[in-house]
Amino acid sequence: MSHHLFLLSPSDTPLYSLTHYSTKPAPSVTSPLASNLPTWSTSAFAGTLTALSGASSATQHTTGGAVRMGGGQDRHVIQMIANASLDVIEDIMRKENTMYLKSVDKFNEWTVSAFITAGNMKFILLHEGKNDDGIRAFFVDVWELYVKTMLNPFHTAHTPIRSAVFDGRVRASAKKYL
Amino acid sequence: MAYAQPHPRLSVLSSSSQSSAEHLSPSTSSTRFSLPSAPSVHSTLVTGKPGQRPNIYDRNLNRTRVAEVSASAFAFLFSEVVQYTQKRVSGINDLERRLNTLGYRIGTRVLELTAWRAESASKTPKREIRFLPALMSIHTQVWKAVFGKSADAIEKSVENADEYMIIDNDPPIERYISVPRDMSQLSCSSFTAGIVEAVLDGLGFPARVTAHNTPNSQHPSRTTILIKLEKSVLDREELLNQKQ
Repeated sequence: MSHHLFLLSPSDTPLYSLTHYSTKPAPSVTSPLASNLPTWSTSAFAGTLTALSGASSATQHTTGGAVRMGGGQDRHVIQMIANASLDVIEDIMRKENTMYLKSVDKFNEWTVSAFITAGNMKFILLHEGKNDDGIRAFFVDVWELYVKTMLNPFHTAHTPIRSAVFDGRVRASAKKYL
Repeated sequence: MAYAQPHPRLSVLSSSSQSSAEHLSPSTSSTRFSLPSAPSVHSTLVTGKPGQRPNIYDRNLNRTRVAEVSASAFAFLFSEVVQYTQKRVSGINDLERRLNTLGYRIGTRVLELTAWRAESASKTPKREIRFLPALMSIHTQVWKAVFGKSADAIEKSVENADEYMIIDNDPPIERYISVPRDMSQLSCSSFTAGIVEAVLDGLGFPARVTAHNTPNSQHPSRTTILIKLEKSVLDREELLNQKQ
């Protein structure tokens, strides 16, 4: 099972992203659209199409490794899902006053949860299973690390976060909670 | 060669990674400058292994008790900020705009840090989405975090629905500033206005914030921070009011 984390600045500039593979098994998802999809294996867009339809089984297990290829694992599809969820998040954050917005959006096997800080920084997490408490604890950890990062006078709203310590701590927290 | 050896006091400041024992050894330090404080500086900054550079991620964000800055150090720094800025501008408006920009950088950080301190312990951390509670929290929480006291009043403009005012009878950043007569319009609290603007912007209430001198007989340095909200904020407030 994998998790994808994106940190977006108030102006939606991506500052940091992380892909985390946890050892927990992914729940099996069957998509009606995927089974009806014709086999366009020759098309240049085949990968994207199967990914968008949620046909994670199409190329799953072919590599034999723990990392699944194709399906929902395409990097550009993940990014698209995360970006698409921004519309929903901006709608909800006007009405809800909690920072942690759980399961704001769904796309095929992916559930999108978000965390909005006071300064309008958005943390977006794509996950497959249901793990509300773990995800909230993870977000709170990332929040503390982010506040520490932005206290750096050289950090601006558009500076990508490249600190190795930040990366290490986020990974450790992901390992613990996700 | 009197200058072959770097001055012992300077070398402590410039190379913090060196071991403090070296500076204290009789061969390098002169008797005129004893350095009893050097080891304690090292021990407070470096947590964990000695010789490692201090790291913001190791610090506790809640430790505020001994982290206060002395008012005279701040007054000196702020006077330098104003002088530096004044050399690079053409008029009072420009100067105020630049001070506002500098304050904005502080404000974004103040907002995140105060929100973290207030909410991180809670199980369901909250953001402020209504304007009036946000204004109240600027008046108390933000002012307390930055100046160590809350502001003196909040007022709503009678003529314009989109204007609010935060009033400080004795702004600490202006305590040691006397503005020359020919620049009497200048309010160095533009810096504070920048902080307020950043906090409002971050919370999703875009506004233009300016500072004005409004002295009265009791408080000669009384300052008004004027908040002019964008129309979208008022529209949203009205929508949220209807729903309740």
